[in-house]
Amino acid sequence: MPDILRINQLSAGYGPLRVLHEIDFTVSEGERIGLVGLNGHGKTTLFRAITHMTGWQQGSIKLNGEEIGGTRSLGAGRRTAALVKKGIGVAPQGDAIFPGLSVRKHLECGAHTKSAWRNRRQRIEEVFEVFPPLRNLQHSLVGKLSGGERRMVSVGRMLMSDARLYLIDEPALGLAPKVSKRVMDALWALPVNGAMIIAEQNVSLLSGRADRILGMHAGRMRGDIGHVDLN
Amino acid sequence: MDLGLIVYALNLASIYALMALGISILWSSVGMINMAHGATFAASGYAAWIVTGALKPIIIAAFGKTTLATIIIASTLIGSAILAGALCGIIIYLLAFLPIHDKPNYPVRSLIITLALNIGAVQALLWYFGPRNRGLPKIFGFGRWEIWETKIRYDQAGVIIGASVVIIATLAWLRFSRRGLEVRAMMQNYEGAAYCGISRQSTALPVLMLTGALAGMAAALLSQTIFVSPTAGVIPLLKGLAIALLGGLGSVGGAVVGAILIGFIEAIVGAIPFLGQRYVYFAGFSFIILVLIFRPRGIGGLLDATRE
Amino acid sequence: MTKKLYHKVGRRPWEYKLKPDGSLARNRLRLPLTSRHWLKWRDEYNPKTLKRERRLDDKKPLWWSIGLLAFVLTVPFLSNSLISVAAIFCIYASINVLWTLIIGTAGIFSLATLAVVGVSGYLAAASNVYLGLPWPFMLLVGPLVGFLAGSILAAPSTRLDGLYYALLTMGVAEICRIYVSQLRSLTQTSGAITQVDSFIPEDWFLQRPGLLLGFAGAFSLLLGSLLLWRLINSERLGLLLRTAKTGREDEAFAEAVGIDFRRARLMVFVLSSSALGLVGAFYAMYFKSISPTIFSLDQLLLLFAMMVIGGLGRAEGATVGAAIVTIIDKGLIELGPLRIILVAVIMLVVTIFAREGLTGARDQFRDFRKRKSGERRAQRTEKGGEAMPEEAIEVQDKQELFYRRFNKRLRERLKSLITPALIAEHKADPLGHHSDNLARVLNYFRRGEMADKYVIMRLKDGEERYRIMAVSGVRGLSPRVVDDREYDDLNDAYHAVFILRVNDLMES
Repeated sequence: MPDILRINQLSAGYGPLRVLHEIDFTVSEGERIGLVGLNGHGKTTLFRAITHMTGWQQGSIKLNGEEIGGTRSLGAGRRTAALVKKGIGVAPQGDAIFPGLSVRKHLECGAHTKSAWRNRRQRIEEVFEVFPPLRNLQHSLVGKLSGGERRMVSVGRMLMSDARLYLIDEPALGLAPKVSKRVMDALWALPVNGAMIIAEQNVSLLSGRADRILGMHAGRMRGDIGHVDLN
Repeated sequence: MDLGLIVYALNLASIYALMALGISILWSSVGMINMAHGATFAASGYAAWIVTGALKPIIIAAFGKTTLATIIIASTLIGSAILAGALCGIIIYLLAFLPIHDKPNYPVRSLIITLALNIGAVQALLWYFGPRNRGLPKIFGFGRWEIWETKIRYDQAGVIIGASVVIIATLAWLRFSRRGLEVRAMMQNYEGAAYCGISRQSTALPVLMLTGALAGMAAALLSQTIFVSPTAGVIPLLKGLAIALLGGLGSVGGAVVGAILIGFIEAIVGAIPFLGQRYVYFAGFSFIILVLIFRPRGIGGLLDATRE
Repeated sequence: MTKKLYHKVGRRPWEYKLKPDGSLARNRLRLPLTSRHWLKWRDEYNPKTLKRERRLDDKKPLWWSIGLLAFVLTVPFLSNSLISVAAIFCIYASINVLWTLIIGTAGIFSLATLAVVGVSGYLAAASNVYLGLPWPFMLLVGPLVGFLAGSILAAPSTRLDGLYYALLTMGVAEICRIYVSQLRSLTQTSGAITQVDSFIPEDWFLQRPGLLLGFAGAFSLLLGSLLLWRLINSERLGLLLRTAKTGREDEAFAEAVGIDFRRARLMVFVLSSSALGLVGAFYAMYFKSISPTIFSLDQLLLLFAMMVIGGLGRAEGATVGAAIVTIIDKGLIELGPLRIILVAVIMLVVTIFAREGLTGARDQFRDFRKRKSGERRAQRTEKGGEAMPEEAIEVQDKQELFYRRFNKRLRERLKSLITPALIAEHKADPLGHHSDNLARVLNYFRRGEMADKYVIMRLKDGEERYRIMAVSGVRGLSPRVVDDREYDDLNDAYHAVFILRVNDLMES
């Protein structure tokens, strides 16, 4: 059984700025991984490198044994849609929502695989089970929703497709503690048949619940930092 | 004001709406101003002329001069025009979209490329077919209906009904189909759409084919009243561009409303005795300018803000 | 050991440098009646070759002068038709240069250039034919009409956005055309005004001397528009407008700084419109007539194609593009509509591949090359490693570079030596007899500089309580606490220091 994600010597950056320096790590099936690091140290760039949205990248990325990385110095975002269809679900930093579409339309957009589209009504119901407040907001325009609700829409949209690897970037960013707790609880409660990587600055939200917590510093992977004891 | 004038106005409005809708949808979803719309119009007209010219004798021979034959001829005419329009859309996709859509200064460069395509295509048609006008077979017949003491010609009614059907079908496709949803999502957030498996290329191609087909339909309908010639597409292009701007680039409702307004204005001005046909163009144009001065974003320029 | 590749970085384009004799004084040509110099010479002392060097900072005046001089000297020896083609080229090129002022410098996407030219030409011709003004006054009527037309057209330009304004101007041109072709007084000539007086005498018209005179007039027109371009673009108005070039952020910044760019844009627009009016009057005089074809969309698109092929926004682009398209259009007239197709194809290819047109191709290539080498350099950069060549040039003490290289290699070697077995060996006996590898690692650590070096501090004399600190390396600055673990055994403390130093080594 191949690992879900195996990254080998990945470097990436934007123009003359190099952000990631030779990253190696592996994610096995069923793992929930927390990625911790300060702002600007490469967490988001790592996710973007997996989906080919950085300026350039170098190094091998294997998804389910299939090579999706490689050396590239142009065309950020050109292959993103094709890669996402191979089974990556992304909830990016800042939500990337469509202001003029309703919540229901967002969820329908997320169902981009054929099987997901066919079962979309059922899946939408499942997402409403995970995030109950969205049921009442089904037909409201997402451009008018609050930050927490948008976060729920973004994560819900990610859950609609049959993704093997979930990349969630800073789910608690900009949210009130109660709301962020609800979002995180929902994330941890999900049954994961692939793997999940959650990037967060706040270690306390991940400790005790993640299988592994990896630290990133200055664009390098610092390895397993174990579980941090809070005093 | 008699019904005949209204019918005439709606006749004009239908064709303008087809052209303006194509330009408006294309701009808001692909970000391209298509100056080659006129060339698509003319090329579809010629394609329809060639196909019907080749097939008409066969159909007449098979079915005689019956209504069935007329219907078949009509469908070949409209079908070939729409297909040719979609084909032109594919060519525009390959030349004006794919090479430069993620490079800098894309809107201006796509405008220039489509302009070059327009110039080249018109000259190519001129060189290949010659400057003479060509006639297309009449598909609606020459009869008239009498409703409330006004005579409505079959072809006027056909144009209005045909255009409305196509426009409603287009709007329904945009609103209810998966591809239409993808197009609307891509318009609003490129990154989010990419994470939903929607790529620019996969949305641009159907939209370009659709707008090409719209221009083809307009050519098929307009060919009932005017002849097909290489420069036949210039005036519909300019009018379509003006009306799309009037309605606000990106607002499909605005384009339809604008087309109806301009159709009525042109009909009314044409009917007023001392102004006559010469001032039709001038009147429509001044109206557009007046509206744009007071509402610089056009009638329905709400979606335009999202584009920026 | 792999062979290190030394890459070229920051390649400067090769320049031709003169070697002046130090004794001669510099001789710089002045433009007559001004205090401006024709060429920008720059003298520098080269410390490597110990000689003075002179080079040209801006080569553009040189290329312009050579080009224009070659042009004006060869044309009088060509055939009659070619002279008229050259004159037409001059007229189109002047229109394009002035149009570039409007589109490039002022940033107003106006398609009314030919409308302004046509209207001024028509009014100037009408004033001559119907009002009897002698022909020199046409050269006054033209700019006046251009000024008025420009003022009228300038008003909506602030209010309407780019494309809307383009449509407005396009419509204005169409209206002029329809209006003129439907004027009752001109219906016999289908809208044209003929028999206009001109600076070309009647009996010379269409003869060689007339053609040469016409060409001379057209060439001075071109020189005049280039002069106007230079005066506006490189002087105050152009510099002001350059701050508000691209998009909203620049405009907001310019406004905040106090630059009234809107007024500058209007001024440029009106000035170039007046100049276009002059071109219109000249056009009427050169052809001795003026017809509605000057308003046609095809003519406008052809001029636009010239600008695009040459490069939007540059005067040399306008001229080069005009040359190319005029040669194709008027020189290959046998091909019929095919030549326009050729122009369209060239326009297509240039827009897809050369972002700034033909004249901008060299800069585009240089940007591409710079970006590529920057990316490759970024992929090779490591922190604290060997100095990159561009950094090495700046460092004064070259021994520093050798030291860094040596250190880098040493650290790589030591990293390969550190194994769990080594760490266990140290833990077992921090101060005892060590293996060769451990001894090398320890020697390296002990040799480290004092800044931030880990030390063990005994908390109280006599007690066996130790803490790890790091000394600052600066006289008078106390050491900093690393962490607050206390060690009871000195060996544990030694091992902890070793682990810290190993971590730092692995991270670097």
